[in-house]
Formats: sequence, C-alpha cells, structure tokens
Amino acid sequence: MKSLQRAWHRHSPQLFLGELLEKRWMEPIIPFTLTIAVFLAFAVMIPRYLTAGSLQELMRNFAEQGMVAVAMAFSVLSGGIDLSVGAVFAMSNFLALYLYLIVGLPLPVTIVLVILFGAAMGAINGGLIAYGKTRPFLTTLVVLIIVRAAYNKVTVAFTNELASIDSGSSTWDFMGSGRVLGIPVNMLVLMFLAVGTHFFLTRVKPGVHIMAVGSSRKAARHAGVNVKRVLFSAYVMSGSVAALAGILYAARQSSSGTDTGVGWEINALAAVVLGGISLAGGRGTIARAVMGAAIIFMLTSGMVRLGISGNLTTAIIGIILLLAVGFNVKWVKNKGKVLQKVYVTPSWVDFEPPPSVERGSGTPFAENDRLKNAEAIALNMIEGPEDVILDRKDNLYTVNRNGSIIRFLAPDYAVREEFARIGGRPLGLAFDRDQNLLVCIAGMGVYGVKPDRSVFKVTDRTTRTRTRLKDDSRLYLADDLDVAPDGNIYFSEASTRYELTDWALDGFEGRGNGRLICHDPKTGITRTVLKNLTFPNGICISHDGQSVLWASTWLCQINRYWIAGPKAGTSEVLIDNLPGYCDNINRASDGKYWLAFVGLRTPVYDLAMRNPVFRTRMVKQIPPDEWLCPGINYGCVVKFDDNGVVTESLWDPGGLSHPTITSVREHKGHLYIGGLENNRIGRIRLEGADPNWEAHVSYWGRA
Amino acid sequence: MTRAVHRRVFAGIGLAASVVIAALVAAPSQAAGPRDQLREKFDKALKGKTVAWSPVWMGVLESEWTRVMKDRFDDYGIKLITRDANMKSDIQLQTVSDYINEKPDVLVVQNPNVTLLAKELKRAMDAGIYVVQVNMASNTLSDAYVGVDAKDLGTKIAREVINQCGGGKGSGEIAILEGEATAAYSLDMKNGAMEVFKTDPSIKVVSSQPTSWDANKAGDITTTVLQQHPKLCGILSVWGPQTAGAAQAIKAANMGDKVKVFVASDGQPADCDLLEQGAFSANLSYRADVQGQTIADAVIALLQSGDKPGAKNVAYYTTPAWVKSKDDRMYCFSIPKDAK
Repeated sequence: MKSLQRAWHRHSPQLFLGELLEKRWMEPIIPFTLTIAVFLAFAVMIPRYLTAGSLQELMRNFAEQGMVAVAMAFSVLSGGIDLSVGAVFAMSNFLALYLYLIVGLPLPVTIVLVILFGAAMGAINGGLIAYGKTRPFLTTLVVLIIVRAAYNKVTVAFTNELASIDSGSSTWDFMGSGRVLGIPVNMLVLMFLAVGTHFFLTRVKPGVHIMAVGSSRKAARHAGVNVKRVLFSAYVMSGSVAALAGILYAARQSSSGTDTGVGWEINALAAVVLGGISLAGGRGTIARAVMGAAIIFMLTSGMVRLGISGNLTTAIIGIILLLAVGFNVKWVKNKGKVLQKVYVTPSWVDFEPPPSVERGSGTPFAENDRLKNAEAIALNMIEGPEDVILDRKDNLYTVNRNGSIIRFLAPDYAVREEFARIGGRPLGLAFDRDQNLLVCIAGMGVYGVKPDRSVFKVTDRTTRTRTRLKDDSRLYLADDLDVAPDGNIYFSEASTRYELTDWALDGFEGRGNGRLICHDPKTGITRTVLKNLTFPNGICISHDGQSVLWASTWLCQINRYWIAGPKAGTSEVLIDNLPGYCDNINRASDGKYWLAFVGLRTPVYDLAMRNPVFRTRMVKQIPPDEWLCPGINYGCVVKFDDNGVVTESLWDPGGLSHPTITSVREHKGHLYIGGLENNRIGRIRLEGADPNWEAHVSYWGRA
Repeated sequence: MTRAVHRRVFAGIGLAASVVIAALVAAPSQAAGPRDQLREKFDKALKGKTVAWSPVWMGVLESEWTRVMKDRFDDYGIKLITRDANMKSDIQLQTVSDYINEKPDVLVVQNPNVTLLAKELKRAMDAGIYVVQVNMASNTLSDAYVGVDAKDLGTKIAREVINQCGGGKGSGEIAILEGEATAAYSLDMKNGAMEVFKTDPSIKVVSSQPTSWDANKAGDITTTVLQQHPKLCGILSVWGPQTAGAAQAIKAANMGDKVKVFVASDGQPADCDLLEQGAFSANLSYRADVQGQTIADAVIALLQSGDKPGAKNVAYYTTPAWVKSKDDRMYCFSIPKDAK
C-alpha cells in the first residue's frame, strides 16, 4: 500500500497537468476546443457536412470574415480597436467592382489601388490615434460612419451600373471561385495572410514592436520603440487587410448591397475576444482571431443549414458567444492561479533520524565554535557570494547577486573590482586548465570569463527529454560545476521545474527535478548524464580524477558518479542521511572534501517530507510567508573523505555571521566561506593544514 | 395421336391459359383508364422530390409563400427545405452554394439583388437543378420566374401618381422610396416609374433613396425629405412594410393631408389596414398567397416537363390590382389562424 502511494506521488498526474498548463499554447485552449467541438457537432447534425464540396463551401465563405478578424486583431493587439474595418471592407468591395468591372482598369492596378485605399483609411485612423492622440474607439467609429455613409452614397449613385455588372475575366472568376489543390483561392490567401502576419508579429521587428506597444506603451517607449509610428503602422495594416478582404469578396459575390460589411466589425471584435485576445492589447495571436472568427462563422452557417429561423440563430449565437467569452475571459485571467495551485506536486521522502548535532554529543557533527571568529572579507561590498574561488595569484573571486563576477585583489582583499558582468544570477565557480573562470548562471546556463576578462558562453542547452511535455532543453538552473582532468565540464542543474527564487518550492516537492550534465569543450556537445536527481547542487571532481561527487540537497546525500576506471558510468550513494542540506563540495588539502550545509534538518520538516498530502495542502491553503521552511539559519561546514566518512565539522552557532553557507574553499592554509544571502566572505585559518596547498595546483599542477 | 401432337396441344392450352391469366391480372389498370395513369405519372414525377428554398428572410410575405408551398408539396409528397438568410446576402450566397452541393431537384430563390446569385443560379442549372426565381429576379434567367413584372408595376403606379400629383393637381414633387437599390424588384420598378415620370414635365422627382426594406430607415429618409421639400406631393414606395415607417413620419410631421402615399405591395393584411386608416393613398397589390400557389405550380410543371434544366425560360407574372378603399380588401390576403 505504501509503495503504491509512493508510486502515485512519484508519478502524479498532477505533474503532467501542471506542466501542461504551463505551456503557452494552453492559453487558447478554450477557443481551440470550441472550434473543434462546433465543427464536430455540425458534422454530426448536418448530413454530408464533411463532403469535399461542403468543406470547400465552408472555407470559401469563411475566408473574408477571417481576414476582417485578422484586421481587427492588428488594432486590438496594438492596444486599440478598429471599428472601421467593416466599412472599409464594404467600400473596398465596391471599389474593386467599380474600378475593375465598371471603369475597366486592369486587375493588378485595381488590387493595388484598393489596398492603397484601405491603407489610406488606416492611415487616417492611425494618424489621428498615434499623432493626434485621439481615442481609438471614437476615432474609428467616426471613420466607420463616414466611410459607411460614403459607401451608401456611391452604391446608390451607381445602382444601374452595379446591377448590370457581369462577371469579369477568368482571372477575376478564379479569384472568386477558383481552387488550388481543392482549397478555395480566398482561403489560401487567408492562410498565407495568417501565417505571414503571425510571423510578422512574432519574428519581425516592426511586428514585435506592435505587440510591445500593445503590452505596455510606457515600457515600449522606454525600450526605444517609436510608439507613434508603430501605432500608425498597426492601423495601416488593419486597413490594408480589410481592403484585401473586400477585393476577394467582390470577386466572389459580384455585388455591393446595403448589407455588405454591416456589422462585420462587431463580428470581428467578437471573434477577437472569443479567441481570447486581450482587449487591453499585447496578448494574443493571429491564430486566435482566426479561431474566434471560425467559431462564429460555423455557428451561423451551421444553424442556417439546420433551417433554424434567422432571428433565433442570431439570439442563439449571442448567448453562446456570451458564455464562451465569459468563460474564456475567466480562464485567461485565472489560468495563472490554477497553474499555481496544481503545479507544486510534492513527493514522498522518507528520512531516518540523522546523527546528532548536539554540542558535546561526540559525533563529528557536534556543534562547536570554530567559525565563530571568522575574519570578514569584503564586508558589505558583496551581495550573495554563493561561491568563492581563488586564482594562482591568490586573488579572490566571487559572484554577486546583480549578475557580475567580483574580484578582490590579494593580499588584503581590500580592493574590489568588477571582474566581469554577465547577467543572470551567477552561482558555482571553477577554473579550467587555461585559467578561464567558468561559472554556472541561473536562468542562463554556463559561461566563462577568460583571464583577459572577455566573457564567452560555454553552453545553455542540453538534450531534451523526449517523454516530457515541458521543454527542458534550455538550462533552467545551472548550479555548480567542476572540470574533469580531460577538460570535460560537469555541472548540476538543480531543477528543471523551478527558478532560483522558487528553490523552496522545489524543496517542498522533494522530487527528482534536477540533472547532472556534461559539456565537452572539444566537441561543443552538451549531454545529460544523469536525470531525475533531487536538487543536485555541489559538484566536485574527486582527487583521483575518476569520479564526480555531487550533493543532493533535499535528500541530504553525497553521491559519486564514476567517469573513469572500472566503474565508469555507474553511480552510487557515498554518504546518506546527513544532518544538513548539502551544498557545494570542494577539495581539501588533506585529500578529503569540504562540504557546505546550506541548512540543517529539523524533525518537523523531516516529518513533513514524509507527508506529501500535508505539503500540498500547505502550498494551496496558506500564504507563502506562513509556509514551513527548511532551517537555513545555521552555519555549518563538514569534511568527509573518499570513503564517505565525515571527519569533522566547523560551526558558526546560530549563523550569526555565516548563515546559509553555500561554499567553502580551502586555499594556502585558509578556509574561505561564502553564503547565498550573505554580505561578506568569511576566512579562517586552518590549524595543521598545508599552508602551500592551492586548489588550482591540485587540479592542474604547477604552472 | 402421336406423342408429339399431344405435346403441342398441351403447349397450346398452356399458352392460352397464360394469356388469359395475364389479361386478368392486367385488367384492373386497363379498366381504370387514362385518368389514373395521369395520376400515376404525376406521382412518379413528383413523389420524393426535393425543393430547396432560399428566401431573403422570413418576413410576412416569405412566410406566406412558404406556407402555401408547403401545403401543396406535402400533399404531393415533395420535400421542402427552407433556410432563412435573415437579410444577410453573404449567408444567402452560402446557402445557395450549399444547396447546389446537396443537389435538390428544384431550387427556389428570392434574389436579394440582381448580381449576387447570378453565377450560382447558372451553376445550379448546369448541375441539373431546376431554378425558379421568385418576385425578385437575377441577371441570370432561369427555368421559371414567378412574380410581379416590376417594371410594369412601376409604370402603373407612376401613372396613378401623375393622376393625383401631376398636371397642376399637386406640386408635382415626388420622392421615391426604393427597397434594396440593386434588387430587381426595386430597381426595375423605379426605372419603370422614372420612364413614365420623364414624359410628364409637371413631375419632379426630388429624392430617390434605398431603404434596405427597413421601415425605420424609410421613416428617417421621409422626415428629411419632408423638411427639405415641404411642398412634397407624393411618395412612391416600392413595398408596403417599409412604407409604414414613411407614413408614420408623415403623420409625425402633420402632413397627412398634404402628402399622398403610393405603394406597391404583396397584399399582406397590414397594407390594407394602413390604407383603410388613410395612411396609404393607393396600394397596387398582388397577393402573396396567390404567388405561393403559382410558385408551387411552376415547380410542379418543371418536375413533369422532362426538360433539361436551363432549357426554357418561362415567366408567370402576377397580376396586380388597385386597393383604394375598404371594398378592395380581397386584394389583400389573410393569414390563416393556425399558420405558424
């Protein structure tokens, strides 16, 4: 029974659900499902709905409405609205008929002129809105009224001509009723338009700027975007697309009635909202607008085909739209909350009682005062030195919260200089054979700084887990690294599910979310060596160079992964059930290893780790500041040997100067101490340690 | 007798017997004569056939047509499919395209304008579907047209207008309320009227605007026209329901005794009511129920004709009659109480 429960918590479907919800393509899931559902419903209700002829008719009749929705989407994504699309569409329809069939201009000239007309109407809208700072709603409403009135005038003026038009050339007929590979021409145009505009809005600078301005006008301006020009262009695009729809409609319908385009702006707006495009701008895609339009179109045409009376059809569509839009708005708004509630999926972790840490208990973990009088280096000159390292000239390097590598110059470490600025949150450090300083950066990957201070990227992606929904090819949280004798860089990725700021949530899960990854600088290939590791943190190549030691923070284990020798490729637990949460591991001068405890286990937290349901409830039901937290207000480092025996510990009781220790580095008879949240680097003299030992020599020999 | 002879005799008897039996079996049909054969041929041509009907919308007029057609078709075992485009031309085009894909035997359409369905009606006939156009024709001629001769209607109504407003009897200022400008019914009626008006210099058409068949819009137009032309003598409106809005506007402007309203309409009860109330001066009426019968007749004729669709263009013009007083009530139809 217990093993069943354990298995359930290990492979919880909630895990899948959480990662599913996190997918960006889940946002339009409602309109997408509705599109499919409406289509299937009519396919069942209407005989011969799925025949080629019927599908072709559906596509042919849908295309222009889809285009007008795309036109509307442009303006809405830019943070505005374009109510004039319906009128511009109708006028373009008339102009196409007039110029081509009544005046007799060549077709290409007609098409260019009509699209220019649409662009001009867009320019009026955009000009007033962007440069005249008028309100989009009123501006485009006025343009709607003016263009509509003009349309009514000209169609009356040319009644007899319009009534006597006959179909034009074969090209014209092809535009209206031709097919390519069975797909109506106007539908093809819509497809190209949708793909093209999607590409434009997501990949091309002016298009991305439209999205940026829609998201936040202020931020866009601060980022150097010419907001006015971008707004202007959005309306020009909108007008042009509406005009294009008008041309195709003209070729298909050959008529220009008083009802042409009437209310199309409302349908387009409904389509955009139904597709889940935010009316506040900046959020949504062209595909969603097309989906929204498809739903409305299928409902209308389907109900007409079912023979439902016109007024009833309108009412039913109104009700369905109201429900769908209401539901969709709620979904878009609350998806984040739902995700938050289901994402954290705690697993079952069993702990034995740990060795005692009590002062005088006689265990190697017994509390003492050996770190109490650590000398403070760089006090208040550094924020969050997660790792520290020293070079051949004794200069001290550390990482800073703001994304830079700071160097304190030997011998007194009073001079602070920014060695390199990379960004992200730099964590673990290591020197390679050529004295390049390699650094793991949370949110970015692994980077390096050459001695001449130039920054280079080592790697930012690894092999993707094929069976997983979440794309884990990008490095989420590279934590610590070390370099093997052959130059391969081994590094840990603590979690593929949480970012650094949410490390505590990963702790609540206690799940194998992390990986051990190896990058080969010679080939440039990065591959995942071990996966499903529970918060792999510190990484250290053993003294003999044959294995990688890695620390699992939440399981309080030190593991060994063999990279050479007879056991190469296998891994084993070296030390289990440590009393503290393990962080970085580094070599010691006596052939042993230093290990930093970022926090200490407590009975309460151990109990909680045995109870995933309790932790789930905690995360769901109480605010974060009341959550149970691992005890990190301690300062403790320990030393262990290759046999997995812990030999001694050094304490700063109560963590007064060194809480949350994440790194210990031995150098020339001194121990340097770094902490994730600290404002200093500690240094103590190690009695009896080799005063000439330095890590660099241990790794790479004398220069 | 030899065996061979015996056999021949038996064969002879057998043959005679079978002839007699065959005659006996065939006797009832032969005995019923040509009238039953006619019915049989009729049933064979009609039973199980499908008529697809695409009205512009389901107004009073269209409902009456539909009601009458359905009564008749039900009787003959013809299936009637109706899809309401609700005044949306794109939906109607779509409807007709869908119909063509579904291959009914007869397609009955009321064209929203002269161009919209022109290509599709041709395509329908090419696909082997009879096409009947109703009251509002297209630029494409089809197997049958049932409805008014709109141009003739325009001519007749214009003469009546001249009678009452021209030649010094009134100011001669006339406003025309069109329906949908490019709908054949409105376009041809207007053109017919204009041809007549051009012959009379005392008549001046001060305004001619489409109302999209909408009473509110007709009312708005009328209000404006009355303000611009206070001496207006008459309004010529192509259809009854929209004219109700115009009459209301005239009443609101207190010009009921000055402005005369001439209307052509389909004989729906409200038209005669309005005339009796004095809102309309003269109504050139044709009866929708009669037209409904004629549509059914045209369909039946086509189904029995054996012609190839598109082979002939037959017209069934409706004869209108003037409604000028209560006594002319018979030129309006009445809707049966149990009709939906």
